[in-house]
Amino acid sequence: MEISIHNLKKYYGEKLVLDIEELKIKRGRITGLIGPNGSGKSTLLNIISGLDREFLGTVKYDGKLLDKDIYKKMTLVFQKPYLFRRKVYENIEYPLKVRGVNRDERRERVKNIMERLEIEGLKDKKGHLLSGGESQKVSLARALVFNPELLLLDEPTSNIDPESVKVMEREILRFNEETNGTVIIVTHNMEQSERLCHDIIHLER
Amino acid sequence: MDYIQEGFKEALKLLIGFDKEVYGIISLSLIVSTTATIIASFLCIPLGIHLGLKEFKGKRAFSRILYTFMSIPSVIVGLVVAILLSRRGPFGKFDLLYTPKAMIIAQTLLVTPLILGLTYSLSKNRGKEIERIGQTLGGNKLDIIILIIKELKLDLMVNIVTAFSRAISEVGAVMIVGGNIRNRTRVITTTISMMNSMGDYPMAIALGIVLLIISFGINSLIYSYSGDD
Repeated sequence: MEISIHNLKKYYGEKLVLDIEELKIKRGRITGLIGPNGSGKSTLLNIISGLDREFLGTVKYDGKLLDKDIYKKMTLVFQKPYLFRRKVYENIEYPLKVRGVNRDERRERVKNIMERLEIEGLKDKKGHLLSGGESQKVSLARALVFNPELLLLDEPTSNIDPESVKVMEREILRFNEETNGTVIIVTHNMEQSERLCHDIIHLER
Repeated sequence: MDYIQEGFKEALKLLIGFDKEVYGIISLSLIVSTTATIIASFLCIPLGIHLGLKEFKGKRAFSRILYTFMSIPSVIVGLVVAILLSRRGPFGKFDLLYTPKAMIIAQTLLVTPLILGLTYSLSKNRGKEIERIGQTLGGNKLDIIILIIKELKLDLMVNIVTAFSRAISEVGAVMIVGGNIRNRTRVITTTISMMNSMGDYPMAIALGIVLLIISFGINSLIYSYSGDD
């Protein structure tokens, strides 16, 4: 999915927090959003994801404005993931369920993604009782399981152990290569952006 | 002191001997309060979640009014329902006054603001985060309301139990619209009140014990459920 942003302005009260004249995020690429705190990285991600609709300007997805169909083709992984108070398996299964995927296919896809992210052992654990690293991996699995066309990641690997970071980065790259899905990642880690990203966008405060 | 001891002995006899009148009163109480709580829950839980998530003009004023109605005195609800259902009232033709149906209507109206207010507050405070996640995972409005109900089910159950407790323990509304008619509209609280004024303690004590057992049973159920979770 290609994202085109035109004359985007976002205000909090009277304060202008984001001002982008023109920006194109190319299809099938991994784009890193970097910049200091308060530069509007997460705000931009929220706008692209459709969570924040109070802004001026236009955001287009493959040339179209946001609608229900586009909404179903993308997802956002938060810095502090919220997992449902149910089993990890059911957490990951959720986006497939709301898309009407049948039970057998759901089982197959959830199993595959759990294997890839090395979290099969967590299958029956309650989502809200997991550690930070485990939660992030489950949250990424829940986002990848339906093969989104646009994957938005808001500092998905902050505050987790290096081994989990490695697994998550590997799966983000694999997702991008195998599905040609567009990825936008907010990160403070320059090394990570070099490892993952094809393009980098600097946002200034 | 003897009459209290005697009262307890007689109460136990009534309960153990499955006294028809006592159990009739208990079952009517349970039917009326459970039905009222179920009706109010079905109406108010989805609505409370929706209103809690939605931003609208006058939301603060709405919150204040709603929270005020949560503590509305039961006699006022009883009075309003009685006026509406009385022969000269707008719904007099349905001949509902002094029937269990009127009692259900009164208790439904009594617990509606309570369930709505508690759900609204819960949704306002904790529902937004769940809504955001539900949206990013592709859920539509209905999916998200169902998701929030499932995520907050324990808190919602506590709200429902709170409402049921209010319904089963109130006396004003059911007394006014039911009339405390023997074998017809007599429930636990109206009987206790009447027996107390008559100085007939055994049945009042027996029903008091039952009321306590019901409260204990429901709270134990909730506690064991939350322990499992």
